[in-house]
Amino acid sequence: MRFRHVLDAEWTKIRTVRSTAWTLAALVVLSVGLTALVCLAAAAELADSTLDEPVGAFVLWGLIVGQLAALVLGILAASAEYSSGMIRTTLAAVPRRRSVVAAKALVLGAMLLVLGTVTAAISYLVGNSILDRQGVGLALDDPGVLRAITGAGLYLSVLAIFGLALGLLIRHTAGAVTVGIAIIFVASPLVDLLPGAFGEWLNKLMPGNAGGSIAMVESFDPNLLDPWVGFAVFTAETGLLLALAWWLFARRDA
Amino acid sequence: MITARGLTKRYGDTTAVDTIDFTVAPGTVTGFLGPNGAGKSTTMRMVLGLDRPSAGSVTVNGRSYRDHPAPLREVGALLEAKAIHGGRSAYHHLLWLAKSNGIPRRRVDEVIGLVGLDEVAGQRAGTFSLGMGQRLGIAAALLGDPDVLLFDEPVNGLDPEGIRWIRTLIRNLAADGRTVFVSSHLMSEMALTADHLLVVGRGRILADTSMAGFIAENSTEHVYVRSPHGARLTEELRAAGWRVEATDDGGLAVYGADLEQVGAMAGSHGLHLYELRKIQASLEEAFMRLTAESVEFHAGVPTVPEPAAAEATTHLTPAGV
Repeated sequence: MRFRHVLDAEWTKIRTVRSTAWTLAALVVLSVGLTALVCLAAAAELADSTLDEPVGAFVLWGLIVGQLAALVLGILAASAEYSSGMIRTTLAAVPRRRSVVAAKALVLGAMLLVLGTVTAAISYLVGNSILDRQGVGLALDDPGVLRAITGAGLYLSVLAIFGLALGLLIRHTAGAVTVGIAIIFVASPLVDLLPGAFGEWLNKLMPGNAGGSIAMVESFDPNLLDPWVGFAVFTAETGLLLALAWWLFARRDA
Repeated sequence: MITARGLTKRYGDTTAVDTIDFTVAPGTVTGFLGPNGAGKSTTMRMVLGLDRPSAGSVTVNGRSYRDHPAPLREVGALLEAKAIHGGRSAYHHLLWLAKSNGIPRRRVDEVIGLVGLDEVAGQRAGTFSLGMGQRLGIAAALLGDPDVLLFDEPVNGLDPEGIRWIRTLIRNLAADGRTVFVSSHLMSEMALTADHLLVVGRGRILADTSMAGFIAENSTEHVYVRSPHGARLTEELRAAGWRVEATDDGGLAVYGADLEQVGAMAGSHGLHLYELRKIQASLEEAFMRLTAESVEFHAGVPTVPEPAAAEATTHLTPAGV
């Protein structure tokens, strides 16, 4: 058995269920739609400076919610196999379990790299055209704009793999989604309440905060890590989680 | 050929499969018979490398399942019918499976035709009836044209037509010279399909015998007779050399005699008879007797020593097991 066969099989799997199309549609619609809404709401106040927030935080705003779709797609790639019992079919066909994990991670990563970048580009075009009408838009060659658009692809790509690792560990869709949302969305405001430098650092290192800043031109929160440093931290965190999932997946009964 | 040596699976304090040894030979249908919870599915999952044995080993064609480079070309398995994602079409389910083992796409169309799913191959598997789902599972098992086939409870929940279809298929696969291993909790089903029988209960092999041998051993018939002169009749019948046992309802079971002999014996001594008939012990009863102990265990009733089961085991287990 060659790895390309396993890769081909996982690619066939992911593109032949409707949930993939729905999840990816949710990614695009939420990201672009919410960016447009937020830009519409904020454009005038940004123009007359009654709203003291960086413009760069608005042009890709919808991704803050849209990222949920990437997380869920990653989780489903593993958990749906457990809920349907198909994991046994998968592992009977490909008993080399590490290859299964690697193939799933590669397929998800590549898919979200492309779609994440495309989604961010559309969000920028739509959001920025609204801001442009008030004269506060950002040019593509303004600092951070291109980095954020390609960064969104990178971030969502790794986030989907983060979801895959959660799905493999928890093996249950609802459970894994709950834990995923808790880690990415809920935990960080709570961690922020911790006092002093400890709380501040922990907040910076939370996966969503560390990884997310690469996907924003500017952040509302000035205390985040530098985008590339943050992305490296998030990638390392995902790597650790995936390594744990990988190790357990090879040992546990299917 | 499937070979298990000392195969054991423990879950905490529970031993699901307890040091079993068996061989499943090519060209025959080997029935894996036992009550629910006897360890059949666990054993099959270990054959497929899905569950890791706590001890011992099992190989398929001389190699551990995980060491086969393209396992679907060696072993086809029908696990529970729901080991399929309901949102994917039958065709796409078979397509990803084929790709995972480098099996050409045209083989997907072939197996769809073989199991008669042509009309519905484009439909999502979640919309399938139990019978159609089972056919899809069998198509998946046949995809790599394997020499070894495992079917876990293949007729469960099927209609009579589906059951007959699967029986014929299983017989034909063995006639091709393939190794076919079929699990079931129904003796009657095994009697119709299996050449060889492995009876399991509480994770242990209770019998490893040919189907013909099992039938000869267990479908013993006897004469049932009820008379107001039971004690006297027993004496006379025993004097004539027949084995007689009292039954629970006050009658007598006479072994080795036929109806006419018992009737004549009673008549010649002037003993009244209220009832006289022939009893054919069913295979199902023999199976129940054999596995009684393990069923009691699962029902949570205190285990009573069951001499019948122990006796049957020694009768049925050939040398070497």
